[in-house]
Amino acid sequence: MDLDVVDKLVIGLQTAFTLHNLMYCFFGVFLGTFVGVLPGIGSLVTIALLLPITFHLEPTPAIVMLAGVYYGSAYGGSTASILLNLPGTPSSAVTCIDGHEMCKQGRAGVALLASAVSSFIGGGIGILIMMMFSETIAEFALEFGPAEYFALMLLGLIAASTIASGSPLKGIAMVLTGILVGIVGTDVNSGAYRFTFGSNELTDGITLIGPALGMFGVTEVIASIRRLKSGAITRNVSMRSMIPSRDDMRRFWGPTLRGSGIGAFFGALPGTGGVLASFMSYAVEKRVAKDPARFGSGAIEGVAGPEAANNAADQTAFIPTLTLGVPGSVVMALIIGALLIHGIVPGPRLVLDKPDLFWGLIMSFWIGNVLLLLLNIPLIGLWVKVLAIPYHILYPAILMFVCIGAYSINNNHFDVILVVVFAIFGYVMRLLGFSPAPLLLGLVLGPLMEEHMRRALVLSQGDFMTFVNRPVAGSFMAFTFLILIYMIWTTIKEARGTTKRATSRTDSPTGRSAADVDEHVGPRHG
Amino acid sequence: MTRSRDYTDILAGCVLVAIGLFAALYATKNYDIGTVEEMGPGMFPAAVGWVMTAIGVLIAAPAFFRLGEMPRPEWRPAIMVIAGVLAFAATVDVLGMVTALMLLTVIAVTADDKLGWKGALALAVGITVLATLIFRVALEIPLPLFKWGF
Repeated sequence: MDLDVVDKLVIGLQTAFTLHNLMYCFFGVFLGTFVGVLPGIGSLVTIALLLPITFHLEPTPAIVMLAGVYYGSAYGGSTASILLNLPGTPSSAVTCIDGHEMCKQGRAGVALLASAVSSFIGGGIGILIMMMFSETIAEFALEFGPAEYFALMLLGLIAASTIASGSPLKGIAMVLTGILVGIVGTDVNSGAYRFTFGSNELTDGITLIGPALGMFGVTEVIASIRRLKSGAITRNVSMRSMIPSRDDMRRFWGPTLRGSGIGAFFGALPGTGGVLASFMSYAVEKRVAKDPARFGSGAIEGVAGPEAANNAADQTAFIPTLTLGVPGSVVMALIIGALLIHGIVPGPRLVLDKPDLFWGLIMSFWIGNVLLLLLNIPLIGLWVKVLAIPYHILYPAILMFVCIGAYSINNNHFDVILVVVFAIFGYVMRLLGFSPAPLLLGLVLGPLMEEHMRRALVLSQGDFMTFVNRPVAGSFMAFTFLILIYMIWTTIKEARGTTKRATSRTDSPTGRSAADVDEHVGPRHG
Repeated sequence: MTRSRDYTDILAGCVLVAIGLFAALYATKNYDIGTVEEMGPGMFPAAVGWVMTAIGVLIAAPAFFRLGEMPRPEWRPAIMVIAGVLAFAATVDVLGMVTALMLLTVIAVTADDKLGWKGALALAVGITVLATLIFRVALEIPLPLFKWGF
């Protein structure tokens, strides 16, 4: 299909501006801001909770809504960081350092405005980059055979499960567990029932929903009940207090644009994403600043840069997800899962053959970001009140969504039991230091990888060199190999340095607050 | 501090070895492995199982030679939350959504001690109303609100 730019934009706008899609876009970004503001619940949990609902929706509004929750939470996350010194989402953790300091100096309004505007600019730049490069990447990927896809998925899995996690080995182990869970059910090639243990319900396989609801819904609740304090605050933020000084304006633009660039780059790579991008942006701003000493005592650059970075990253994360069908993070794996529920396989064909879905989604990103700007500046008072909702009211509601969501898929209590099994397993693994996120990545990608591996080996008549000989597959394999080498190197270095860790911690670029923040964030958002 | 081995990682490794060995042996015994050109249904799970076993050993082995702590589960939240969800699963087919949700909330609330019984009941009613509005009214999913017996 050959369409020029205007045609695509028109198709996209027509899709995005239907009443139905607008409604779900608004609902998504509203809910995203809501859960982003609340420290106890993030976009990952929320998307897991909404997954069963997407069963009952058309694919386009379903994805528009889930995506809205995702990028909306990055707007809301900074509100809790600034007002409470508690990150609402992990990618807003670094915003605590200077954002909360500004709040203590009575400049919370300016910090919130800077965060909303830089988020919008970062998000916008991310969308523009997505619009420019997606089709080129998709056209390139049309040439990929099964060997290339297998190598690419392996790279994605290894990168996503090792780079950001505390223990790379445990990350890989969870990916493999997810692949095993994905094997349960009827084998498409031979028709054999694998690991069904005589259960009728298991012959259809285990979808993403049981593990997602169990490990991110129920396990999270169990782990958070004792840990989370509710954030009672009385401070109110008026529109007037948001007016920035001329000095603020002058300091705002550089960090925002640099942050957007950093975020757009790391967002598109597997395994990095918003958290890393925001920390990188903070480190860069501190380095290029004329007087780095201001950082940590309320520098507006320390809010604008990271907030632009995490929003840009959230948008460009959709590039590999939609053009290649390879998720760079667990949230993207859930988005792919939601598409697969509707029988849509993300990849180059989606971008090129389904312009209404692809361009409609992009246009909904623009609409969503404008809505978020409106939601986060004039309505900030509402979100300040949301911060005061205590967790002991919230968690029974989360459990309600888990139970009804799981039950509504087939009107069968078996799906709820499956949730319980994964909740217990998830809690045990969490106690043993495993993060649940890689399991879902393995579950989504496992069946596809097995299929690609089989086909590649049929084509090459059993020659494993097919994954290395072909230039594109070979380079993906080389990258995977480099990541593994790097991982082994850092593990050895860390094992030697455990005794010295206490002294070296304070020297990290983000300093004390980042380490503090780590405790609150923990592994819960993966 | 008492000397203790890093039981967290020892247990973690053992769990992985158990799952990995089970998957590998079960797949080898019950499914056709096939050849590399024509992979049978057993080959992929067996391979995954063996790699998992190896990783389990790599995690557990060094943990015997370093200090660490036992993992400490939070028993009350874990048991009450799981019990609440199980109560929902046990009753929803028989008694319908409303009763199952009330049970879920009233049991799950006891995981924490911040709400008294009045608060718990009020919350249960609120959550049931919310669920009905979202799933029945807004999304029009046909979930039976009440049922009596089978």
